[in-house]
This record gives sequence, structure tokens and C-alpha cells, in this order.
Amino acid sequence: MNVDVNAIFQIAGIGIIIAMIHTVLKQMGKEDMAHWVTVIGFVVVLFMVVSLLDSLFKEIKTIFLFQ
Amino acid sequence: MGFGWIPGTLKFGIGADDMLKVIGAVLILFSGTMFGFYQAALLSRRPRQIRQFIQALQRLETEIVYGLTPLTIAFRKLADQLPHPAAGLFRRAGEALAASTDRSAGDIWRQAAEEQWKYTALKSGEKQILLQLGHTLGRSDREDQVKHLRLAVSQLQAEEGAALEEQKRYESMWKSLGVLMGALVVILMY
Repeated sequence: MNVDVNAIFQIAGIGIIIAMIHTVLKQMGKEDMAHWVTVIGFVVVLFMVVSLLDSLFKEIKTIFLFQ
Repeated sequence: MGFGWIPGTLKFGIGADDMLKVIGAVLILFSGTMFGFYQAALLSRRPRQIRQFIQALQRLETEIVYGLTPLTIAFRKLADQLPHPAAGLFRRAGEALAASTDRSAGDIWRQAAEEQWKYTALKSGEKQILLQLGHTLGRSDREDQVKHLRLAVSQLQAEEGAALEEQKRYESMWKSLGVLMGALVVILMY
């Protein structure tokens, strides 16, 4: 349970930091770079969510398939 | 597992493991901040150094036109008068010029510029201008050299304007971007 809460906080933190970097870069007129930062942040978070979902499905498998 | 409330124990605690993590996080955050400030310092140093080189070239022009000073002595005088990065270039070029007999002044100037370049915050545009100038140094009569020196000065002034513009735009950006990048790395690895 503890680990899951940490993961959520981590994702939220990444979101906040990425949003701040996006704002700073956009204000300084480097909009293309700002978009790239957002895309990279999105991919990183997606990767974390996918690995969490993977562990969730594995757990479900062990519960219902009696491996 | 993170610091804060430890389930089942009803108390707050920080283990040795977490202490190590916190120290690492602080170090990464610090280095990110310093990186950002370093980039900002480079940006603010560039226009100042371009201005130093403009001054140096104007003094060199004076030496050539009114003093009729030989290049070796002129370089040494400039090296004594100028502040740090520009002085190094002129001192190096002056020493090499005094020591050698068979190389052209342009060749020596280029070599000195390549050697001293890492101590400056200048970019390749200014380097090209200075190298171009080196080809004509000590090669033709006074009027021709003065023309080339004036040309180099006006080109450097254009570069200075661009550098000032860049500094205004990107200095504060780098300052906050360094901290943010450090924070991002810390959160990613925590």
C-alpha cells in the first residue's frame, strides 16, 4: 500500500515539474522545446503506469488462475 | 520506504537508508542549480568579453596608426592593459611572435586564438571574425590594416548586440531551468 502511494506522489511531482519547465520554456520563446519536454514527461509517466498495470494484471492472474 | 509515518509503529522516523537518499537528492538538486547558474554566467560573460575585444582592437588600431609600434610590442602592451581572457590571447600571440622567425603573424594569431579559446565565453561567430582579422595583421600597409580592424570592430559590435539580446532572453530561463531539471531528476529517481 505504501509503495502505491509513493508512486502516485512521484507521478504528481513529475507532472508539476514538467508543467513548470513547459511554462518557463514557453515564456522564453522556445515553444518547440517546451512541447518536446511535455512529450518526454508524458512518455516517462506512461511507462511507470504501464509497469504498475502490469503488476496489477499479474496479481489478478495469480488470484483467479491458481498458478 | 520513504520517510514519514511508519505503519504500525505510530511514530515518525528517518532510517539510515532514507538519510542517504536525502543526501543524494540534495547533491543532485545542488548540482542542477549550479549548472543552471553556470550557463547563465556564460551568457552574461559573453557580451562583456566581446566589448573587451572591441576595446583591444581599437587600442591596437591606435598603436598601429599613431604609435607605429611593431606587432610584438603592441601585443605585449595590450596584454598588460587588458583584463583576463583577452589579455591571455594577446600575451600568447606576443610571446610566439617574439620567439619565431619563419611563421606569419596570421598563423601565430590563429594558433594563439585556438589555445586561448577555452578560457573565453565567446562563440564561433566572434572566433571567425578574429581569425579573419588575423590573416591581415602585419601583412600590408597601415591604411589597409586599419580598414580591416574597423571592419572587425563593427562586426564585433553587431555580435555584441546579438549577445546582449540573447542574455536578456535566456539568462533567467537558465537560472530556473537548472533548479527544475535537478528537481525532476530527484523525483524520477526517488
